[in-house]
Amino acid sequence: MKYTIETHDLTKRFALQKEFADFLRHPFRKDEMNAVEDVNLNVKSGELFGILGPNGAGKTTLIKMLCTLILPSEGTAHVNGYDILKDSGKVRESIGFVTSDERSFYWRLSGRHNLRFFAALHNYYSDDAKERIDELLSLVGMEDRADDMFLSYSAGMKQRMAIARGLLNDPAVLFMDEPTRALDPGAAQNVRTFVKEHITGDEGKTVFLSTHHLPEAEELCDRIAIINEGRIVAVGTQEELKSALDKPDPGLGDVFTHYTGKEFERGAAPKHVYQGRRRMMGGGRPGRIRF
Amino acid sequence: MIYKKAVSFIIRDLILATSYKFEFFLRFFFMLFSILTFYFVSKLIGGAGTEYLEPYGGDYFSFVLIGIAFSGYLMTALRSFSESIRGEQMMGTLEAMLVTPTDTSAIVMLSSLWSFIFMSFRVLMYLVIGILLGVDMSNANVFAALIILVLTIICFGSIGIISASFIMVLKKGDPINMFFMSTSELFGGVLFPISVLPEWLRTISYLLPITYSLSGMRHALLQGYSLFALAPEIIALLIFSVVLVPLGLLSFRYAIKRAKLDGSLVQY
Repeated sequence: MKYTIETHDLTKRFALQKEFADFLRHPFRKDEMNAVEDVNLNVKSGELFGILGPNGAGKTTLIKMLCTLILPSEGTAHVNGYDILKDSGKVRESIGFVTSDERSFYWRLSGRHNLRFFAALHNYYSDDAKERIDELLSLVGMEDRADDMFLSYSAGMKQRMAIARGLLNDPAVLFMDEPTRALDPGAAQNVRTFVKEHITGDEGKTVFLSTHHLPEAEELCDRIAIINEGRIVAVGTQEELKSALDKPDPGLGDVFTHYTGKEFERGAAPKHVYQGRRRMMGGGRPGRIRF
Repeated sequence: MIYKKAVSFIIRDLILATSYKFEFFLRFFFMLFSILTFYFVSKLIGGAGTEYLEPYGGDYFSFVLIGIAFSGYLMTALRSFSESIRGEQMMGTLEAMLVTPTDTSAIVMLSSLWSFIFMSFRVLMYLVIGILLGVDMSNANVFAALIILVLTIICFGSIGIISASFIMVLKKGDPINMFFMSTSELFGGVLFPISVLPEWLRTISYLLPITYSLSGMRHALLQGYSLFALAPEIIALLIFSVVLVPLGLLSFRYAIKRAKLDGSLVQY
């Protein structure tokens, strides 16, 4: 079977910064740390695949390698059938990238100008770009504020613009690096609803999402890979992951503990609190993000 | 389609520049000050130094006006490529740009376009003010000056790209920038003719493209030299271009690969 994303022993080692004394004592020694180690993953088309791990586990490095922003030290990967090393341009043509970093926009441009600029980088110009941008602004519910300066947007609006930007080139695969990290619970829930119901549901796109938020992974992901210290320790559907545990009604935190022997440090609210919040907020209409 | 991308970059930078309205107008206003300073210095100098200035028409103000106007291209080239990378890194927008199908080299080149346009506008203002203050350009060979200008931008741009390559890897402390910034005014003939320098120091001047660029520009604009008469400067600038363009592109390609390997593409 041909997968949309395939990685084979994908590894990334970063050189550790040397102290001044190290340049004298060991001028030729190169100390390295493994950020990602021997990652083998297969993601199917249309799947919402989650990579779950605490901060510093290697999620962002893995995503950046797949987006061709970082070169791997070893191993290979294919995205949409393109080799991330040999066909990096083709990879970038076929993917979208949504980051939680709101600084990734020009704050003194309007939302529309930002999208126009990034559309040009995706080779969309003039009428094509205008049509696509209008469509996306309507989709993420930002058409009324599109001509305001980006700096006037709330965190939730900025994230909606980040999603719109990620969809500019109508990508087959959308990489989302902790897309709800900077959002309040309400806005985060709306983003999750949008991703689940619109991006994978209506549009049928493949989503590769990283999160350190256990309930988010539970709510969204068809399959989950648990990553710890750069290594994938388990992959499967939630049922598959949980079935390995000899415990009634286990959560993903228990799964993480089972495979790593450690408590999951950075989750969010416990599961019952999270479910309570969801009930309080109600469900947003699928297809648009709403506040 | 590259021109459409170029237009997008120019629109982006124009909106960003004019969003800081006060700073935008201040830059134009203070431009006048440096010109006036040299205008009065030239009044003081009067006919002194005529033997050195004779090959360029004999007038110090005309000489220095072309020097400060066109040396600005070198400063722009040295700063704009590396500063555009650093600026995007600090703003946090670089990663979002690099994940698009647009080539990294194109992103860096196009990011500097606005600086060159602004610099060209500045040069034009310098020349207009110079003419109003009495600089005689009635014999100018504009076509020859444009050829020198294109070669100048190619040479200086390549040096700027090499400089940006260092910034891409080292983040700060770029030796190319420091070298050209510190040597060009002294050895490049910006403020005084290189014939003032002792013979042995003049050797350094002959190794700098700015020497040929300014000399050619002065001859073309002030004395209306023909292309044939400008052949020594044009050939020198062509040789610099042939060496510097591939060197710039190769060094930048290497720098991007190195930064992607280090994972430091967006670090600053």
